[in-house]
Amino acid sequence: MIDFPAFYDALGIMATSAGSWGWIVPGLIVGLVFSAVPGVSITMAMAIVLPMSLYMDFFSAIVFLTSVYTGAGFGGSVPAILMNIPGSPSSYATTFDGYAMSKKGQHNEALGYALFASTICGILGYVLLLFVVEPLAGIVLKIGPVEMFAVAIWGMLLLGSLGSKYVTRGLLAAAFGVLLGTVGMNTAGFIRGTMGLPVLLDGISPIPAMIGLLAAGQLLTLAGKDYILDAEEARSVSVKKILAGCWGTMKYPGVLIRGSIIGIIIGAVPGVGSSVGNLIAYAETKRTSKDSASFGKGNPKGVIAAESAVASAEGGSMATMLALGIPGGGATAILLAAFMMHNIVPGPSFIETQKPMVYAIILNNIVQAIVLLVVGIGFIYVASNVVKVRTRYILPAILVIATLGTYAVDGSPSGPITLFIFSLIGFALVRYEYPVAAVVVGILLGRMLETEFLRSYQLSAGNPLYILQRPGAMAIVGIMLLSLAMTAWGKRKQAKQEAEEEAAMQALHREELATAGKH
Amino acid sequence: MRFRGNEYRVDGGHVLFVSLIAAAIIWYLFDARGVSTSINNLLLIQPVAIFALAMVVLIIPQLFVRADKVVEEKEEEYDPLAPKLPTDRVQVIKMLTLGAALGVFVFALNVIGFDIAIFLFAAATMLVCGERRPLHIIAFSAAVAVVAIYGFRALMPYPMFTAIL
Repeated sequence: MIDFPAFYDALGIMATSAGSWGWIVPGLIVGLVFSAVPGVSITMAMAIVLPMSLYMDFFSAIVFLTSVYTGAGFGGSVPAILMNIPGSPSSYATTFDGYAMSKKGQHNEALGYALFASTICGILGYVLLLFVVEPLAGIVLKIGPVEMFAVAIWGMLLLGSLGSKYVTRGLLAAAFGVLLGTVGMNTAGFIRGTMGLPVLLDGISPIPAMIGLLAAGQLLTLAGKDYILDAEEARSVSVKKILAGCWGTMKYPGVLIRGSIIGIIIGAVPGVGSSVGNLIAYAETKRTSKDSASFGKGNPKGVIAAESAVASAEGGSMATMLALGIPGGGATAILLAAFMMHNIVPGPSFIETQKPMVYAIILNNIVQAIVLLVVGIGFIYVASNVVKVRTRYILPAILVIATLGTYAVDGSPSGPITLFIFSLIGFALVRYEYPVAAVVVGILLGRMLETEFLRSYQLSAGNPLYILQRPGAMAIVGIMLLSLAMTAWGKRKQAKQEAEEEAAMQALHREELATAGKH
Repeated sequence: MRFRGNEYRVDGGHVLFVSLIAAAIIWYLFDARGVSTSINNLLLIQPVAIFALAMVVLIIPQLFVRADKVVEEKEEEYDPLAPKLPTDRVQVIKMLTLGAALGVFVFALNVIGFDIAIFLFAAATMLVCGERRPLHIIAFSAAVAVVAIYGFRALMPYPMFTAIL
């Protein structure tokens, strides 16, 4: 299951790159602080600090960024529990029972449950990844250009179809992203869409485009808001009670494991991510629980289920990213960009030739989850103050850092200009409900898609029936069609359910108004 | 506009956005075809562009929104006891102003200097977000400029054109 020589080499990498250890705590703090600020998501936090990792060596850069990822996973749950404001979309389900516990005066315990569930399930996700890397490497080695192209198309279609309420808008976003990713010179030497600008010959610079789409564009939408005004007063924090909550988490191993499995699977599928994983884990735990009626009224199992899925999704999405080089969403897209910045392309060849590095990344993430336990408790003390900072102070600071970060990529004004153009596109995408992550991943994968397609075309000499000689590719296409059909069916069902719920809520609202009118 | 007994209105902003995307895709397709019609050039671009344009066609019905639905939603949101929220229009103007400020900022960096541009942009953003106390605006914007300039100078090897710092 584990390639022990590579594993020992990984321990060697970790021991010799002592500098990288120093990036764990700053990374966790950045992730915790950013995601505790309502409106700043995990992806935004990672996008903003991405240029800083440019000047680190490869391992340190990945340690820093994955620490931000780990910290941000828990950070959002602090305002979710204390103030009913999910710091990031992935903490949405945590508010259901976390805030209810808070109202009962059990906020310390709730924070303990959330923190320990995050730690344990973060470790679980990566331990599982540690075991699957070896068999995964064997499988991905058999992947040729046809299979790679099929997988990338599948990922893009899933990202497009799942990332938005409207399948058509999602697919348009994905296709638009892919086209943007092909701008410049392709592997056959043709130059397209550069408008005569030499800076576009290598294509659209992905980092400024990503920061614009994922961070700046969405930060603009905060201009009219002052969330923090409505926040409640900070509550007193007790380490003793938090630790009691941590200990209490161990009473629910079933919830932890179920949440983790859901998180890992959902995290590994491109396009879904932890923001959906926490809702599914919560709903599934509620459905199978004997005391399902107490969910939403302060049941610790609700907090544990939601947080376990968020934490373990990281391991799942890393598996897809490392093995296939296909990011499952915004956060792993940023990690992919960080790999590319260091001239390393994740995927089948990386996992086979750089196995010690893969193990070192996984082991370091396990360490991060353990460090989170300590840093997280310290963070809870300051978190209630972080969310009180007003947007008028946060916005200028973050936008300036983001803009200068894009300048730091190559020291030319094209970075900030790309950021500006893509922040406008990102703003419009969010405004009209198009999935931004689909465009981002399209930009990152566009070139790879074209190269693999060209190779497949050359290998098959233009004969589409060549796919019949590739059972792997046929299986992927089969799964792709099946999953698309299931997505369409699921969406229809979801829309129907939502409509029914809305009708029920409206009826209830009217009833309440009528009762109030009588009184 | 009436259709099957329901009143519909056109979402102008969405129409503009979809039109711009469609125009960009068509331009890109023609630009690529202008370079060469070889399969090695168009293998991916042409089918993806046609697929994207097909999606645009399928999105067209979504550009028409039920007018009565909008009214219903607005009525539901109205609560005389709740503190008055800024209307959509005010929010949109704030967002657009901030977007415009960002545009001026990125083009001004190399013209007036990074330090001055950051100071002015931070001050403008604070104003847009509702800050009105001059001392707060000046002090915080200056702090952002100083920290950003010295922080990034320490971090990256590229020179930054500055006027004062």
